[in-house]
Amino acid sequence: MTRATPIVPVVRYLLLDRVTYVLLPWTWAVFTFLIDVVILELTPAGDTAHRWVGGLGAVFAVMFAVGVQSAARALPLALSLGISRRGYYLGATALAGGLAVCFGLVVAVGQSVERATGGWGIDMAYFRVPYFLDGPWYQSWLTAAVAFALLFVHGMWFGLIHRRAGLLGTTVFGAAQLCVLALAAVVATWAHDWHRIGRFLATLTAAGLTAALATALVVLVTGSYATIRRLTV
Amino acid sequence: MTAAVSVTGLSRGYRGHQALTDLTFELGTPCVAGLLGRNGAGKTTLLRILAGQEFHDSGRVRVFGAEPLENDAVLRRMILVREDQTYPDLKVRHVPEAAALLYPNWDAELARTLLDAYELPPGRPIKKLSRGMRTALGIVVGLACRAEVTLFDEPYAGLDPVARALFYDQLLADYTAHPRCIVLSTHLIDEAAELLDRVLVLDRGRLVLDAPADDLRGAATVVTGPADGVERFAAGRTTLSRRTLGARTTAVMIGRLDARDREIADHLRLRLEAVTLQQLAVYAADHHDQFGLTTARAS
Repeated sequence: MTRATPIVPVVRYLLLDRVTYVLLPWTWAVFTFLIDVVILELTPAGDTAHRWVGGLGAVFAVMFAVGVQSAARALPLALSLGISRRGYYLGATALAGGLAVCFGLVVAVGQSVERATGGWGIDMAYFRVPYFLDGPWYQSWLTAAVAFALLFVHGMWFGLIHRRAGLLGTTVFGAAQLCVLALAAVVATWAHDWHRIGRFLATLTAAGLTAALATALVVLVTGSYATIRRLTV
Repeated sequence: MTAAVSVTGLSRGYRGHQALTDLTFELGTPCVAGLLGRNGAGKTTLLRILAGQEFHDSGRVRVFGAEPLENDAVLRRMILVREDQTYPDLKVRHVPEAAALLYPNWDAELARTLLDAYELPPGRPIKKLSRGMRTALGIVVGLACRAEVTLFDEPYAGLDPVARALFYDQLLADYTAHPRCIVLSTHLIDEAAELLDRVLVLDRGRLVLDAPADDLRGAATVVTGPADGVERFAAGRTTLSRRTLGARTTAVMIGRLDARDREIADHLRLRLEAVTLQQLAVYAADHHDQFGLTTARAS
């Protein structure tokens, strides 16, 4: 008897915890939205057309935490219930992709409403992020979806490392990523490349940035999949 | 016939610790096998390897003739109910719902009955359950999923005697109605003794006893009485232990007794008691070189 990889059952299994995967990010969104409204009401408007706020970042941060949760808490029961690591990973990443597409759409729709209402009547740019999420709705949708997926998978990788190596291993893993960034900065300094990096970032379009995020997503998917394949619970 | 579980030369070591060494056994189906042994004997490691949750260093593991590791077709026919199961942030009712998604033979009615019997509130978050209630939740899923290979790792942890009796009754009733291969890892051997068809005893990662439970019942006897009488009775028999206190001696002997032996014991004023499975497991661990490993093949 054979069975296809149980992607849909894994997605449904994870979505039994709808509070974590669906409600939690947008509860934070509502909370930070209200906080931003209060802050803008209490501070002078200034001369700019848009009053940029950073509340939407909370949703991305929660997406990272949800990814951690999907590996650290939900994986062990799934394996006990006869799901393979590969099946679980495919199901979890399918959920990440689905959530990312839906959440990205929410951001795109939110931008449209925001533009139509003059920034909720107070020039607030909650769903718009300068340079990053400030283009046409479809581009914002795509960029936001890739960013959501990236953070979910990154969180999942951290959760897997935590299951495998505990707090110490997770700390080392996080420190290693920072070291890679620091090493890149050192190399750029030695090679006197900062001006070229600055020029590259200045000319990078939102689409180019999305492609860069997608490339990073592929790296994270590869790394986290390799981790889960050697994981014991 | 293909054995439900077949293990050949299985070994697993960790840094500085050999958890399993050269295990070889088979389990047919239907059967209820008891996996016995002290803490750290390797029971949980073995069950995790069977369920594909752990890797092995060498040897071969087959479940329904195929390697279970990362094999969805095999894994869907198995469940491992663990004492130390980590649960996500779910409510009690979500766990049966999750199992129902994954097991085609899921019995929702049995799950409801067991949730009621163990007084598990469906709406309560799992993290708010007591240890015994979490154990009971594992039992509910383990029985109601009707997996063809059901592995229970210390399924009674934290359960009171009434709940344990309920588990034995339900297990027996469900096994009778839906025969399958069930492996129980436990310390409470005598409580489960009546359920077991097969007994496997692990000691420090080695399989020191593997035999049908019926063969073990009455396979060893405790003889108590006057020291000289015990000496005469035990002469020529294999004894596992001998303890003398004053004029009285207690000896544990291997081998079945016939009517003639009982007549002699009565004549020598000796008291005979069958060694329980629990005691046998202890003796098997301590004296496996004398005990003799009985190998039982899949039925």
